[in-house]
Amino acid sequence: MLWLGTTLSLTFVAIPLFYLARRALDSESQTLTAVVLRRKTLEIFLTTISLAALVVAVATILGVALAWILHNVALPFPNLCRALIILPIAIPSYVFTFCWISLFPSLQGFWAAVFVLVLSTTPFVTLAALAALRRVDWSQHEVAQTLGLNTTATFFQVTLPQIRNSVAAGSLLVALYVLSDFGAVSLLGVDTFTRAISNLYRGSFDRSTAAVLALILVAISGMIISIESGARSRTKVVKSSSRIINNSNLDRELKSRSIAFVLISIYVFLGLVFPISLLLVRFFSNAATIDYTSLLGATLSTIIASSLGALFALLLALPLGILVQQGSTFARLADKGVLIVHALPGIVMGLALVAFGSEFAWLYQTLGLLAFAYALLFMAKSVGAVRTSLSRVPQNLVDISATLGQTRSQTFRKVVLPLSAPGIFSGTLLVFLAAMKELPATLMLHPTGFETLATEMWTYTSIFRFSEAAPYALALILVAAVPTFLINRPDKNVGSDGDPS
Amino acid sequence: MTSLEIRDLGVNFNNRQILTKLNLTIQAGAFAAILGPSGCGKTTLLRTIAGLITPAEGTIRFGKQLVSVSSLVLPPHKRNIGYVPQEGGLFPHLTVAENVGFALGKKLPRDERQSTIESMLTLVGLSGFQKRLPHELSGGQQTRIALARALAMKPAMVLLDEPFAALDQALRAGISEEVVALLKSTNTTTVMVTHDREDALVSADLIALMRGGTVVQSGTPAEVYLKPISADVAESTGDVVTIPAMRSSDGRYFSVLNHGDIRTSDGESGELLVRPEEIRISDNPASSQVMAKISRINYYGHDALLELEFAGMPKTVRARVAGAMNFEVGQTVFVQHEGPIRWVSVKATHE
Amino acid sequence: MAPQGFRRRIIVALTSLITLSGTLVGCSSPSSEGETLTVYSGRSEEFISPFIEKFTSETGISFDLRYGDSAALAAQLLEEGANSPADLFLSQDAGSLGAASSANLFAQLPTEILSRIDEKYRSPSSDWIGVTGRVRVFAYAPDRVSSLPKTIDDLTTPQWKGRLGIAPTNGSFQSFVTALIQSRGEAAAEKWLTTIKENDPVLYEKNSQIMEAIDNGQIDIGLVNHYYLWEVAEELGRDINVKIDFFQAGDIGNLTNVSGAAILATSKKQSAARKFVEFLLRDDVQKSFVADTHEYSLVIPTLWPEGLPALKDVKSPAVDLASLADLRRTQALLVKVGLI
Repeated sequence: MLWLGTTLSLTFVAIPLFYLARRALDSESQTLTAVVLRRKTLEIFLTTISLAALVVAVATILGVALAWILHNVALPFPNLCRALIILPIAIPSYVFTFCWISLFPSLQGFWAAVFVLVLSTTPFVTLAALAALRRVDWSQHEVAQTLGLNTTATFFQVTLPQIRNSVAAGSLLVALYVLSDFGAVSLLGVDTFTRAISNLYRGSFDRSTAAVLALILVAISGMIISIESGARSRTKVVKSSSRIINNSNLDRELKSRSIAFVLISIYVFLGLVFPISLLLVRFFSNAATIDYTSLLGATLSTIIASSLGALFALLLALPLGILVQQGSTFARLADKGVLIVHALPGIVMGLALVAFGSEFAWLYQTLGLLAFAYALLFMAKSVGAVRTSLSRVPQNLVDISATLGQTRSQTFRKVVLPLSAPGIFSGTLLVFLAAMKELPATLMLHPTGFETLATEMWTYTSIFRFSEAAPYALALILVAAVPTFLINRPDKNVGSDGDPS
Repeated sequence: MTSLEIRDLGVNFNNRQILTKLNLTIQAGAFAAILGPSGCGKTTLLRTIAGLITPAEGTIRFGKQLVSVSSLVLPPHKRNIGYVPQEGGLFPHLTVAENVGFALGKKLPRDERQSTIESMLTLVGLSGFQKRLPHELSGGQQTRIALARALAMKPAMVLLDEPFAALDQALRAGISEEVVALLKSTNTTTVMVTHDREDALVSADLIALMRGGTVVQSGTPAEVYLKPISADVAESTGDVVTIPAMRSSDGRYFSVLNHGDIRTSDGESGELLVRPEEIRISDNPASSQVMAKISRINYYGHDALLELEFAGMPKTVRARVAGAMNFEVGQTVFVQHEGPIRWVSVKATHE
Repeated sequence: MAPQGFRRRIIVALTSLITLSGTLVGCSSPSSEGETLTVYSGRSEEFISPFIEKFTSETGISFDLRYGDSAALAAQLLEEGANSPADLFLSQDAGSLGAASSANLFAQLPTEILSRIDEKYRSPSSDWIGVTGRVRVFAYAPDRVSSLPKTIDDLTTPQWKGRLGIAPTNGSFQSFVTALIQSRGEAAAEKWLTTIKENDPVLYEKNSQIMEAIDNGQIDIGLVNHYYLWEVAEELGRDINVKIDFFQAGDIGNLTNVSGAAILATSKKQSAARKFVEFLLRDDVQKSFVADTHEYSLVIPTLWPEGLPALKDVKSPAVDLASLADLRRTQALLVKVGLI
C-alpha cells in the first residue's frame, strides 16, 4: 500500500518537471542556446545571484544577532518579544513592498529589494539559530568565560561552531526564498529570473524561452537545496538529554539590554509595526467603501485553497515519509525527487502546470489544480515533518509494543501515529501557511472568478489602488498569523521519552 | 510460568559478534540475574529472548516450545513475554490505565479489562493512579507501572533491563525489594539484567555472569560468590584481592598469608583470590605469625576496609573489619586467612 | 497539547476539509437565473466594471472575468486551444486579436454587428471587431522636459538616457513595434530597439505604471496609449503632473490602434456573447467610452475626446490593423534584443 502511494506521489512530482522540459525543448536548439547565452540572461543571472547573496548575508547576521539576544539577554516579556520577532514570517514580501511603496511610490530598485527581502526572511534565520542555541550545552560557555574569553570571543570560538550548521540551514532557506520571490522584485522593478520569466510568459507567445530560464532557475535552486539537505543530514538530530543545561544566567547589564532593546525595536518596527499600522490606517480611512463581500469571499477562497493544498501535500507526503523513515532506498530516491520539485519557484510551477493543465480540459483552471500546485510546491515540508516526527518516536516504545502482543500495524496505529501526529500536523500547517502567501503560481492557475487574498491584493497594487489593496493585505496577514503562531509556540518541555510537542 | 533454555546462541550485528555460544538454563518460576560489565551483551541477550533481535545461530526454548532456531524466530508479539526496558518505556500519550491495559486487547470484555487493570495496579501498590499520565509519575512509579503493564497479560516470563538503574540511590533499595518480592510472590520466571552486583546477589535465585558475549559461569549467588572460576568472575561478584602465590608439587600453597616462602623452586606460580572479609586481623600476637602493617583505613560506618602492607609484596592487601574497631594507621597487626583456597595459575589469570 | 484531544481535533479538521473538497473541480461563481459568460479581458477591471454591471442589470447575464495583459491573454488562448473555457476576448489592441484570429480561435460575427464598424477597424476575416480607438502618444513631465522629441528616433539620443519608460510586454507597445517592423523592415526595427535598450530605458509592465512613474519623478517621458492620462488620474483620485503629445506627422510613434472584442469559436454561449458585443457597440455605451474614458468611438466618428484631434485627423501613417497580427516575430525580436 505504501509503495503504491509513494509511486503515485512520485508520478505527480514528475509532472511539472516533465512539462517544463518539454516546453523548453519545444523550440529549436538554436534558439535555446541563443537564449542561454545572450547578454540579458547574464544580466539576469548576476542580478539574481547578487540579490540572493546580499540578502542572505544581512539576514544571517541580523537573524543570529536577534536569536542571541532572545536567548541571552534578560528582556521584559521575553515570550512576547520572541513572538514579535518571528511574526514577520506571516507577512509575504510583496505585502512589505506594498506597504513601503504605498508611502514612497518612488521606491525602486535593487537596494529597495534587499531591504524588503531582509525584513521578510530574517525570521527564518532567527528561528534556526534560536533552536540551535537551545541545544547548546551552556556549561561550555561558562567554562570558556572562566578561562578568560570575553563574550564576543566566546561566541565566535565556542557557540558559533556549534550552531553553524543550523544557521546555515536557515540561511539557505533565505536564499531559496529570494530566488523564488516574485512579488517584491516585480513591484520594485528588479530584473531577476522570476520577473524575467513572468515577462516572457506574459509578453511572448513562445513560452519555451521562459521555460529555458525556468530550468536555469531550477538548476540554481536545486543546487542550493542539495547543499541544504547535505547540511541537514550532517546535523544529527540530537536526542534531547535532560542534561542540557540552558542559560539560566541571563545578561542583565544595562548596556546589553539597551542595545538589545534598540535592535529589537527597530526590527519589530520596520518588520511588523510599520506595515501593519499602515495597513490599518488605510483600512480604517476607507472602511466605508470597502467591498466586504469581496473581501470575505477572497478570504474564504484563500483558506479553502490553502487547506486543500495542505491536505494534498499530506496525502502525497505520508507514504513517502513513512518509507523514507524506514530507510528504503526507493524512498530515498523519491525523496530527492521531492526536493527538486521543492526547488521550483512558484512561477515555474505555474508555468509547468499551465502546460500540463491545458492538456486536460477538466483539470484546467480548477481549484484542484491550484491545490495540486501548492501541494507539489510545498510537499517537501510535509515529507520532512513526517520523517522527523516518525523518527522521534523512540524505538524503545515500538519494541515494547511488540512485546505487548501488538502486530506491526497495530503498533503503528496505537503508538507511532499518535506520537508523531503533532509533528505531522505542524508540517501540514507549514504547507498551509506557505500556500496562503504564494503569489505567482496562484496568479497563473486560479480559476476564473476565484480570487484569493493574494491575487486581489496584487491586482489592486499593480494599478496603484493602494487603499483598496490594503484590506486584502491586512486580511492576509491576519489569517497567516494564526498558523504562524501555532507552529512557533515556545517549545514545551521534552520529556525523557523524547515526546516532542 | 515457563522455564527458559538457551543453547549455543550466537548474535551478530553490523558484522560484529555480540553473543557467542551462549548457554543458559533458568527454571520455571526462578528469578535470574544476568550480571556483567557494560558492553558484554546483556541487553542484546535480553532483546534476543524477547524476539526483538534475530540470532544467527542457536536455539531458545520457552518450556517445551521452540521459540527460536537459528534465524527462524517467533515474532515478539507472539511470544507472550513481558519486557520492561531501562527507562520504563511507558507510552507518553496514554494514561496509566491505558498503558497497563495495552496488551489486553479488544477481545476482553470491558469490565474484565477494568478489573484486571485494577488488580495489577493494586499489585504494584499504585491503585487509584488510573487516570494519571506518565510524565506525572516519579521514576520509581514509572517502573512499577511498566511492570504492571507487563504482568497484565500474564506473560510466560518477565524480562527486566536494568530496571533500577535510573532511580535515586535512596529509593532504589526500597523499590527493588518490592519489585523482586512481587515477582517472586507471583512465581514469575524473571530474567533481570544488571551491572550492579549487589542487586544481583540480593534478588536472584540464579546468577549468570556474562563476559565478552557469553555466559562464563552461572549458579546460585553463594556458588558464584564463593567459587568463582576466574579472577574476572570473582571481581564481578565482589571485592577480591589477588595475592601472588606458589603451589608446590605436593599441593601446598605458599603466599604471604601463610608466611610461606614463595620462592620455592619446584612449584607453579599463580595467584590466590581472596575476599577481604576472609582476611582476619587482630592485635593479639598469639593469633598468628603473619604480620602486616596498616597503611590506610577506609571507614564506611558499618565496616572498614584496611589496607595492609606485607613484607615481600609491593601491593597492599585489603582486609574487611566489622564496624567497631580500634586499629590505627601504622599499627602492626597479625593476619589469618579464613576462607577457601581459590587458586588460579598464572596462565589462567585474567582471561 | 495532550495528544489525545489532538486526535479529535484532527478528525474534525479532516472532515471539514473533505466536505470542502466538494468544490474540487470547476469552482465557478453560482449563476443567477441567467447564464454566465467567461471573459478574458485585456482591459482593466476599473475600466470595464461599470459596463459589465450595466449589462448584467439589463440582461441578467453575469460574468466570470479574468484580467490580464492582452498579449498574455492571447497567448493563453493560443495555448488553451479548443479547451479554453473563455467565451469572449476583450483586447486592448489589434495585434493580440489578430494573433488569436490567425489561429482560427474566433467565431464569425454576424453582419449586423460587422456593419456598425468601418472595415478598416475590424478583422478582414470578420471574426473580431474594434470597439474603441486609441492612439499611441508620448507622455512627459512638463516641468522636467523642455524640448519634446519629434520622432521616435529622437528618443535614442543621449539626452534621454535613463529617462524613458516603456512597457515591452504590453500589447499596445508590441503592436507599435510590429508596425515599426512593417514600415522599416526587421533589421531597422532591431536597430532602433537595440539603441533604445542601450539608452537605459526603465521597463514597466503596464502603461499606467509609466504614467505614475512620470508623476512621481522616476522617469521623465514614456510611450503610452493616449487615454491613460485620464485613466491614471482617476485611479489615483487626483491630477497628475503629466502631459501627452504626438510625434511629428507621419511618425510611426503615433500609431492608431483599436481595442476590440471577439467571440471564441468554442464558446457554447454564442448568443449571449453576441448580445454583449452588440451592447459594446450601442450608441449610448459608445458615448460613455468617449465621455468617461476619453477613448475614440469607432461607431460614431463625430465623437472624440475633448482636447484631441479626430481620429481621421491623427497624424499617423496608414497601417493595416490586421497586419499587426504577427506578434510572434515582434516578441522574438524583443526577446532577442533583451527588452523582454
